Amino acid sequence: MDRECAQLLPPVCAVLGDSRQLVADDTFLEKFLDWFKTLTETESSLHLLQENPCLTELITCVLKLKDPSSSTLSFILRLTGIFTASESCFQYLQQRELLNSLFGEEGPLSSALWEEASVRSGWVQGVHTMTQHQSAIHFLCNCGAIDVIFTLQGDPSLFVASAANRLLVHILTFSLQSFQTKPVNIKDCDWPICAQKLIPHLEESLKSSSASRIKQSLKLLTSVFGCCHDLWTEVLWSQLSEPITYLLENEPFNAGNSLVDLFLSMARSPVFSCPECSLWKSASYALEHLNPAQAGCLSAGILKLQECPQAVRMQALSVLLQPMDCVLKAASQPLEYPGLLNNSLSDSATIETLLSCRSSCASLLCQTLAHLEELLYLTYMPVNLPHIPLLKSVVTVLQFGTGLATPASSLGSKISRILIGCFRVQRSALDILGAFSHWESHSVFMGSVSDILLAYLKSPDTSPTVLKKSFQATLKWLVRLSEAPSSRDYWLQTEQFFRDLFLVLQKRLCSHCWEIRDSALEFLTLLVKHLRDCYIFTEKEEFRQVLVSSEVPKFTEDLLEDPESYVRASAVLAMGQLSFLTHLNSKIPSTENGNGKEVKKKSIVAQLQEILVTDSEGFPRRAVISVFIDWLRDGHTDVLKDTEQFVSSVLQVVNCDLDWEVKAGGLELAEVFSAKTLGRVGLAGCPYVSVVSAATRSTQLNESLQIFYRVKLFEFLFGALCDCDRPVAQKACSILIALKAELCDENSLKEGLSAEHSFPEAHGIAWLEKTLRRWSSCAEPCPIGIANEAGSQNPNDILLVLRTIDLEGLNKSLNRSSDHIENSPQSLLQDILATVGTLEENEADCY
Amino acid sequence: MPEIKVTPLGAGQDVGRSCILVSIAGKNVMLDCGMHMGYNDDRRFPDFSYITQNGRLTDFLDCVIISHFHLDHCGALPYFSEMVGYDGPIYMTHPTKAICPILLEDYRKITVDKKGETNFFTSQMIKDCMKKVVAVHLHQTVQVDDELEIKAYYAGHVLGAAMFQIRVGSESVVYTGDYNMTPDRHLGAAWIDKCRPDLLISESTYATTIRDSKRCRERDFLKKVHETVERGGKVLIPVFALGRAQELCILLETFWERMNLKAPIYFSMGLTEKANHYYKLFITWTNQKIRKTFVQRNMFEFKHIKAFDRAFADNPGPMVVFATPGMLHAGQSLQIFRKWAGNEKNMVIMPGYCVQGTVGHKILSGQRKLEMEGRQILEVKMQVEYMSFSAHADAKGIMQLIRQAEPRSVLLVHGEAKKMEFLKQKIEQEFHVNCYMPANGETTTLFTSPNIPVDISLGLLKRETAIGLVPDSKKPKLMHGTLIMKDNSFRLVSPEQALKELGLGEHQLRFTCRVHIQDPRKEHEMVLRVYNHLKGILKDYSVQHLPDGSIMVESILIQATAQSEDQGTKVLLVSWTYQDEELGSYLTSLLKKGLPPTTT
Repeated sequence: MDRECAQLLPPVCAVLGDSRQLVADDTFLEKFLDWFKTLTETESSLHLLQENPCLTELITCVLKLKDPSSSTLSFILRLTGIFTASESCFQYLQQRELLNSLFGEEGPLSSALWEEASVRSGWVQGVHTMTQHQSAIHFLCNCGAIDVIFTLQGDPSLFVASAANRLLVHILTFSLQSFQTKPVNIKDCDWPICAQKLIPHLEESLKSSSASRIKQSLKLLTSVFGCCHDLWTEVLWSQLSEPITYLLENEPFNAGNSLVDLFLSMARSPVFSCPECSLWKSASYALEHLNPAQAGCLSAGILKLQECPQAVRMQALSVLLQPMDCVLKAASQPLEYPGLLNNSLSDSATIETLLSCRSSCASLLCQTLAHLEELLYLTYMPVNLPHIPLLKSVVTVLQFGTGLATPASSLGSKISRILIGCFRVQRSALDILGAFSHWESHSVFMGSVSDILLAYLKSPDTSPTVLKKSFQATLKWLVRLSEAPSSRDYWLQTEQFFRDLFLVLQKRLCSHCWEIRDSALEFLTLLVKHLRDCYIFTEKEEFRQVLVSSEVPKFTEDLLEDPESYVRASAVLAMGQLSFLTHLNSKIPSTENGNGKEVKKKSIVAQLQEILVTDSEGFPRRAVISVFIDWLRDGHTDVLKDTEQFVSSVLQVVNCDLDWEVKAGGLELAEVFSAKTLGRVGLAGCPYVSVVSAATRSTQLNESLQIFYRVKLFEFLFGALCDCDRPVAQKACSILIALKAELCDENSLKEGLSAEHSFPEAHGIAWLEKTLRRWSSCAEPCPIGIANEAGSQNPNDILLVLRTIDLEGLNKSLNRSSDHIENSPQSLLQDILATVGTLEENEADCY
Repeated sequence: MPEIKVTPLGAGQDVGRSCILVSIAGKNVMLDCGMHMGYNDDRRFPDFSYITQNGRLTDFLDCVIISHFHLDHCGALPYFSEMVGYDGPIYMTHPTKAICPILLEDYRKITVDKKGETNFFTSQMIKDCMKKVVAVHLHQTVQVDDELEIKAYYAGHVLGAAMFQIRVGSESVVYTGDYNMTPDRHLGAAWIDKCRPDLLISESTYATTIRDSKRCRERDFLKKVHETVERGGKVLIPVFALGRAQELCILLETFWERMNLKAPIYFSMGLTEKANHYYKLFITWTNQKIRKTFVQRNMFEFKHIKAFDRAFADNPGPMVVFATPGMLHAGQSLQIFRKWAGNEKNMVIMPGYCVQGTVGHKILSGQRKLEMEGRQILEVKMQVEYMSFSAHADAKGIMQLIRQAEPRSVLLVHGEAKKMEFLKQKIEQEFHVNCYMPANGETTTLFTSPNIPVDISLGLLKRETAIGLVPDSKKPKLMHGTLIMKDNSFRLVSPEQALKELGLGEHQLRFTCRVHIQDPRKEHEMVLRVYNHLKGILKDYSVQHLPDGSIMVESILIQATAQSEDQGTKVLLVSWTYQDEELGSYLTSLLKKGLPPTTT
């Protein structure tokens, strides 16, 4: 603790220990605790207490208060917990008989304040932090705290109950950590006292008639098996497996979800992985007897395991596939191809009942689809999923959803009625349809998948969220197929699909709903970008032809004037991509005005520049900058015509922009430009370039400096360095440091700088602001991109500033959080002191 | 027993961040998804782990409802939908949907400015989240699914703020969000119909306060600004992008117009245009005066308020500047503050609450020497003023709303425990309803008695109305019939129809009770005594002495037999059908008391 904080601490402790002084804002106390957590990580807690006796006094003082506030008491319990995590500190406070008054029976347990959830929560948290050594464990066992924790497991506050459960897990695992040898059975006297108390409690809870007690205990065991893989967990299971098996056989539904979590937590532990373990028998029984939703969760978990008996795995797969099998059969009798499951194995009556009921059908399908989607994304898949029939079943769900499937049974009719217009199921099914793209080839796509996707994309009944999922699934398939080696073949088959797709896209771009227009534009941008970048995809020209022959580019351009700023931004990004592929400027150069005269249509660069200048919202302007960065980086033809002019004009506009992200984008553009310039003149980029002579280097430096001077790069960068938004100044600083390293080489500067400039003193932002003001007051208005010869600054002035300004110092301070002073411990302590007495005046308020 | 469960994850006995889980008739709804601005780590968001432990979020929650655009009510939404993984429907009003992203972007900027974009939502996430939002109109009943419906009511607190009624079958909950029961300069007062919900969840920020008129605060504000400008000082008003800023702008604009003042007023970030756009778009959400005068003059088109350039801060002379962010966290407002703080002629007015860890908080708590970068000390000589313009219902307003909605019970959120306790007692005393105030993480369970709709057969209806009075739609009427529960539907039909429909035969059940009477006389004489006795008491009933010696009282049959062993004791058999249970029991009890002595 530094000296300043040590000085502030006693008065702060006096305030906190005074019941008349209210600390209204709980964040004060939370941050105070955060500070001590950090302090005790680096300093000895005992030393802290000894050096700052006010802390012990604070604890004593609060304990003596007749009527402490619940928040203060909770705070003291947690603070003491932090100190007593160190054994020496624990002994120190124990000697002063403080711990029993806080955590023992004499403490808040017996006071009226125990009714407050915050006090109980503080107590549990304090005990949890304290339990880091055996002395604490002994203390808890002796002072009756374990029984209190048992009671708190059923606390009305969910937060307290769950914290108590976590605490018991911690106590059990911690007290058994030193347990090296495998115990023979649970009744061995070797088990620590804590465990001897806890395990019978668990056994009793599992046998109780209270559903909540059973759930809490199962949750506790789940955490124990999840976090501890020591051998004693096996003994614990052998002790508790009997009541758990009883629960499974007699109360499968009430405790079902908790049992699933328990079995999965155990199944992930290496202790239980051997195929002979009784766990698998229980898991198999559970798969058979739990309700389909619970069994589905267990199945999904089992199928993700690397170590699992094959029979259980296959059983899990059957359970998971059963709802999809029912759907498949409900739409097609007899099946045209093998179903998902062998009929003789499955009893589908329960599933069919659930699928025919409106409330359960959607839940069951959504859950099943989500589990299967997760499995499809697994890189390691221990069982072979029947991809084709499974995909068919997903398509069937989607067909039911849009009324395209013909029911083949009464169940089919019911499912059809339920699923039509059910967005929840449609979204889940489209998610998994996208996941299939990783597995299946174009031949499958060109079948029912492309049809169903087009159906959803076309349907006026498709909701905006479902449409977005349809676009995402379509994109995944198209991306995957374009990367397949047989892409020529793919192209021939998918050309018609693209034609249909663009027709749909045209309509969607004209939707009255901005969410739909935006999703369509996002899809277009990603599709074009991918196909443009994909080097395996060789049919770029054919794709371009299909795209240009549609109205999509025109409609996209129209959306640059959309009333919704999100859509305008997406249209800008889409145009940015389209302009690479379609060379729009040459295709649509002019339009006719009313007099039949041709009016020169604005180039896309000019249109985007206009948006950058005039759009009142930040999103479109940010999008323009991002497009310009891409264009500059990728060498867009329109930019290459006159890069200097382009960069100069953009930077000039960005300099006046009030949006920090537009400025940050402008800085990135400046960074790309400077790197390109230095690379072009041979100063940077390739490490293998042969060493050049000093004279050549000097020429190269001058050349690049002249370019930067002409585009007013440094004026922009220096301006950004003075910006009040930290990310802008930080980015400018890092670019300037990089440029300084390249340009301010001692040797190369000698010629350009006069003697008095050689060792300038380092200056800060105030000096820079003054210099910039001087420059701007001397500058005459001049055309964009042409440096003002009459201005006082010249390239050497710029270099001088670059050398003079303390960039390293600035960088150091900008790399820190902008509120680091306000959030420092000193500031916190000052705030606590300052707030005292002002509460009445500035009564708690909000927005 | 059907129940409604309410668990606050935030706003339970605090005003930090609102997030309340309601479970009603098997449907789970999240009310608001707010953020605590006082923390920079995960504590700023509600603890969603309670929901995730119930399985997948989207499977568990049926919908999320956002009451208004303030960050303590919507700030965690992009985190919840794009990072935690909720993929279901989100509902809010049209203005809230339009304005929410602006406020979220505003706060994202502060976060990035502080630390860089770590573990926080991005612009794209905000947009993706907003695309999932279904916007609702006032008083429009929106069907979330077949059973769950919601309806928005005007809340007045800020533009687009709404109270929501959530209904499943006959059970309903109203969540007020933040509301204001008195109209202000640009918004009207909250209003709800007499919807008699099972539960009203109300905010209680000013649970113990009777607030003075906002006009006084407005006058005070104008006076302070005017005085500062008159003496050549500069006024800084740190604000959030949208909301209170516009309210204060209207105030200054009209004052400048009236007083013909010349000092410039600036608004940073070009926000006036954006605000203007939204207030124009949602003019129907503003108050009557603004709506009426809109055609002649749009209140949100400011003549005197111009966009701010950072170079203006150094201009000499008086000026008023609205700058973001609102708590002097960082950025432009803080930069201007640093420049102007040293001059005692200047003034900073904080129009809202500031969290710890901000310069705004420091100066409001009276600190006048602030440490700056590089251990430099900034001496604050400028005047510091705090003026709360937050528009919440005070204690009177809350009681007024309860009176208006007539809920069966009330639950208080968004307030301090001590103040809530006071209001709770007041509500329970005045309205005789239960009032709850759960802490965060505590579940309140309410048992409800929902109405079950039953179809009634036309035949039964006609029969019942034929024998009764003319039906009155406003008065409940008791109907007798047989309830058939079949295929998830309930029907009340006549017993005959029920037998016919169900193919059942009719059996009659009679109850017979034996009453012993001490009477040495002959049986027929004793029967006559009984007859006379009953005739005398039951004057309005038909009492007959039948030729076979038995007595009929309405449909109840009384027969006498002599007990073989004891001739002095007679046994009366009283027999009735289940329909006449009441009369049968009455007669039995009457006879058990014995016969009156004979007067000869």
